[in-house]
Amino acid sequence: MAVTTDSSVAARLVREPRRTTRSRQRGRRALVGYAFIAPAVVLFLVMGLYTLVYSFGLSFAKWNGFSPSWDWVGLDNYRDLLYADPRLAPEIRGAALNTGIAMVAVSFGTVLIALPLATLLNSITRLRGTLRSIFFLPYVTAGIAVYYAWRYVLEPDGAVNLALRAVGLGSLARPQGFLADPDTALATLIVIMIWGSVPVAMLLYLAGLQAIDPAVIEAAALDGAGAVRRLRHITWPLLVPITVAIVLLGLRDTMQGFQIFLIMTNGGPAGHTDVLGLKAYQQAFFQSLSPTLGVASALGWLIFLAALLLAVVNARLLRGQR
Amino acid sequence: MRRIVPLLALIVYAAVSLYPFVWMVSGAFKDRLEILEGGHLIPRRPTLDTLADTWSRLHFFDYFLNSLQVTGLTVLGVLVVYSLAGYAFAMIEFPGRRVVFWFFVALLFVPSITVLLPLTILENKLGILGTHAGLILPFVNGTAPLAVLMLTNAFRAIPLDLHDAATADGAGEWRIFWRVYLPLARPTLITIGVLTAVPTWNEYVLTRVSLNDESRYTLPLALERLASGTVPSYNEIMAGSLILVVPVIVLFLALQRYFVNGLSGAVKN
Repeated sequence: MAVTTDSSVAARLVREPRRTTRSRQRGRRALVGYAFIAPAVVLFLVMGLYTLVYSFGLSFAKWNGFSPSWDWVGLDNYRDLLYADPRLAPEIRGAALNTGIAMVAVSFGTVLIALPLATLLNSITRLRGTLRSIFFLPYVTAGIAVYYAWRYVLEPDGAVNLALRAVGLGSLARPQGFLADPDTALATLIVIMIWGSVPVAMLLYLAGLQAIDPAVIEAAALDGAGAVRRLRHITWPLLVPITVAIVLLGLRDTMQGFQIFLIMTNGGPAGHTDVLGLKAYQQAFFQSLSPTLGVASALGWLIFLAALLLAVVNARLLRGQR
Repeated sequence: MRRIVPLLALIVYAAVSLYPFVWMVSGAFKDRLEILEGGHLIPRRPTLDTLADTWSRLHFFDYFLNSLQVTGLTVLGVLVVYSLAGYAFAMIEFPGRRVVFWFFVALLFVPSITVLLPLTILENKLGILGTHAGLILPFVNGTAPLAVLMLTNAFRAIPLDLHDAATADGAGEWRIFWRVYLPLARPTLITIGVLTAVPTWNEYVLTRVSLNDESRYTLPLALERLASGTVPSYNEIMAGSLILVVPVIVLFLALQRYFVNGLSGAVKN
C-alpha cells in the first residue's frame, strides 16, 4: 500500500508543475457549469429517469399498488397484452386498431385541410391576421372545456343534429347523438382531432409559403412555366419537408394523446373508441385492487417503443431529404 | 370573383373554427330552463346569472386562483431551471455536456402515459401526491426538451464578444448570465412562457389522478366534477368552460407574435 501511495504522490508531484492555471480554471468553470445544470438534472433524474426505470421494472411484475411486494412474472404482462390473455388481448388489439386508424386519418386529414387553407391565406392580404388568429383558437384552447362544448353540440338534440335536420339532411342526423352511436363515434372524434391540429399545420405551411422567394416564381412565369408547373416544380418541393413534419407530428400526438377519448367517450360506446393510451390509463388507475399495475406499465412501454420506432423513421426520412 | 372565392372559403373555415366556442357562449348565457329547450343559438332570455353563479356559488373563483397558481409557478420554474441549464449548455465547457444535453432532448420521445403511473407512485412516497407541488414539478420537467433546446439555441445566437468583454471586465459566469445574457434572451423567455402556460392551464390527466382535495382543484378538474354531477346542466358546464378558455384566449391574443414564432421554431427543432 505504502508503495502505491508513494508513487501516486510522486506522480502528483511530477504533474503539479505542469498543471497550468488554465487547466485549473477549466476545472472551476466545469464546476460552475455543473452548478448551472444541477436543478434541471436533479428534476430529470427524479421525475424522468427514476419513473421510467421504475415502470420498466414494474412491467415484469404483478402488483396492485397496496401489497408490500411485487410478484415477478417475467414477460407475462407483455404476453398477456399481445396474445395470451383471452379477455385483455382482443381488447388491446381493438384499441391498437382504433389508434392506428386515428393516427392515419388525423395526419392526412390535417394536411388535406391545412395546406389549401394556408395557400388561400397566403393569397390574401386583407383580414389575414384576423383570420389567422381565429384559426388558431382550437389550438390554444385544446382541452376539457372545448371537448365539453363539442359534446354539447353533438348531443341527441344538440346543434349539429338540429342543423342537419334544418337543411334537409335529417338522414345524416344521429338520434342517439354522434358520440353514442357506434357507427359515428370514432369518426367524430377524428374530425375533432383534425379540427384541433389544423392550426399548427396551417401555421407551418404558411411559414413555408412565405419563405419562398417571389422572384423565383416570377422568373419561372417569365420562362413560360404555367401555374401548375410552378406549383409542381417550385412550391411543392419546398413544402414536402413541412408535410413530412406535420404527418409525423400528427402520428405521434394521436398515438400518445388520449385525453379527448377519456373526456368525450371514455372508450364507449362498447369499446368503439378505445385507444391504447386510454387502455393503459384504465389499467393503471381504475382497476381498484386487481394487480394490474404491471400490465399497465407493460402497455406504457409498448407505446413508448412504438414512439421510438416512429422517431427512428422520422430521423431516416429527414436524413433522406438532406 | 378571384378575390372573393378564397376569402369566402377562409371565412367558412373561420366559422368552423369558432363553432364550438359560439355555442359555448350561447349556452353560458342561457338559464336552466332555456338550456333544456335546446336548439337555438341566440338566447331568448340572455342572463348573466349562470356565469355569476358558476363563478361564486360553484367556487370557480377559487379554482381560477388555483389554476393561476399552478400555471404561474410552473412557468416560473421552467424559466429559472432551464435558462440556467441552457446557458451552461451554450456557454460553459464541462465534461459530459453533450451527453446530458441529448438526454434532455431524448425526453421528448417519452409518452406521458408511460410515466404517469410511476410518477403518482413516486409522489405518494414523497408525500407530495395531491399537492400543487406534485403537479408543478412534473409539469416543469415535462417542458425540459422544448425549453432546453430553445434556450440553448437562443444563448448560442448571442455574439460571443459580449461574453469575452464581460469576462475581461472581471464578471463571473453568474453575473454575465444574469446581467447580459438573460435580458437579451427575453423574446425566447416569453415564447417559452406562453408555450408552457397554455398546456399547463388546460392540463387534465395528471391533475385528475393526483388531486383529491376539492380546495386544491384547478379549473379543468372543477369543470369535470361539475359535468359528472348527478344532474349536469349544460348552461353551467358551458359557463365553466368559458371561464376556463377566456384567460388563454386573452393571453394568446396579447402574445400572439411570440406564440407564432415559437411554434414554428419548436417544430423545426
